[in-house]
Amino acid sequence: MNEERTFDHRPDPELGGVLRRALDSPRDDQAAFVARVMARYDDALAAATVPTWEVLAGWARRGIAVALLAAVVGGFVLGRALQTPEPESFDAAMAPTSGAGVAALVTATDPPDASIVFASLVEQR
Amino acid sequence: MPPDTPSQPPQGAARIAGEAELVARTLAGERAAFGELVERYAPQARRVARAVLGDADEADDAAQDGFLSALVKLGQYDARRPFGPWLMRIVANAATDRRRRRQVRRVEPLDPGLVGGGPRPDADAVRSELGERLRAALAELPPRRRTAVVLFDVEGYSHAEIAGMLGIPEGTVRSEVFHARRRLRALLADWKGA
Repeated sequence: MNEERTFDHRPDPELGGVLRRALDSPRDDQAAFVARVMARYDDALAAATVPTWEVLAGWARRGIAVALLAAVVGGFVLGRALQTPEPESFDAAMAPTSGAGVAALVTATDPPDASIVFASLVEQR
Repeated sequence: MPPDTPSQPPQGAARIAGEAELVARTLAGERAAFGELVERYAPQARRVARAVLGDADEADDAAQDGFLSALVKLGQYDARRPFGPWLMRIVANAATDRRRRRQVRRVEPLDPGLVGGGPRPDADAVRSELGERLRAALAELPPRRRTAVVLFDVEGYSHAEIAGMLGIPEGTVRSEVFHARRRLRALLADWKGA
């Protein structure tokens, strides 16, 4: 052990050995220390564990909130659907109805006069 | 392992992989895996905490805090790197936090209780005397200096690893180890010459 080795970038086994003996105690019981740490591990685990019913209650709270939201959205959609009238089909809208004006319009061999077209429209109303 | 060699376990790829597996098993909730990590690193963690704090009982509390804190942070551990430096950084931080909380400005004596009581053979008595002198010398060093020399010469970590653990530049670690060695070697030389 000399001054040159003070600059050494490698560990000094001799110094390390005596320091280790100085820091270790003959009273040290590693097994007891490990047991102590593991007891704290168990305590921490027990404290972190949430009872099952609390988990289920948490799920239930979330489930109720989702169901309420779904009911509100569903009600809104249903309400809108009931208020809107069914659209008329294209054929029904174009089908001729009874009336002299219409009969004259569909049976005439010549192009219809504008007054006949107007009359058929007025009759349909 | 021989007593005069650094106590840090070898950090080969196989060891890193083995410890990564222990970490993964711990994260999966396997109690025994965490127990194995604690068992493997308990002596080293206790020494490092003692180097920081001086007091043996308080150091054990800090080492325990370190292990539990590591457990909480285990998800942050990079499995490609050695586990030891990561854990020792947490232990050193836990011990430093305790020292700060203590807020004692005086020189901290290392616990005389580190030496076991009762009658002992002469060889042990001589060794005990050296141990007491070393503890006194360590206690005179600034906490960061004694932590650095213990991590380097006792635990076998590199300057770079110690820099990461203590959150200081690598050059500062070299300087701290240099000054600590100079003081401790002078003491050892006196003791040998006596």
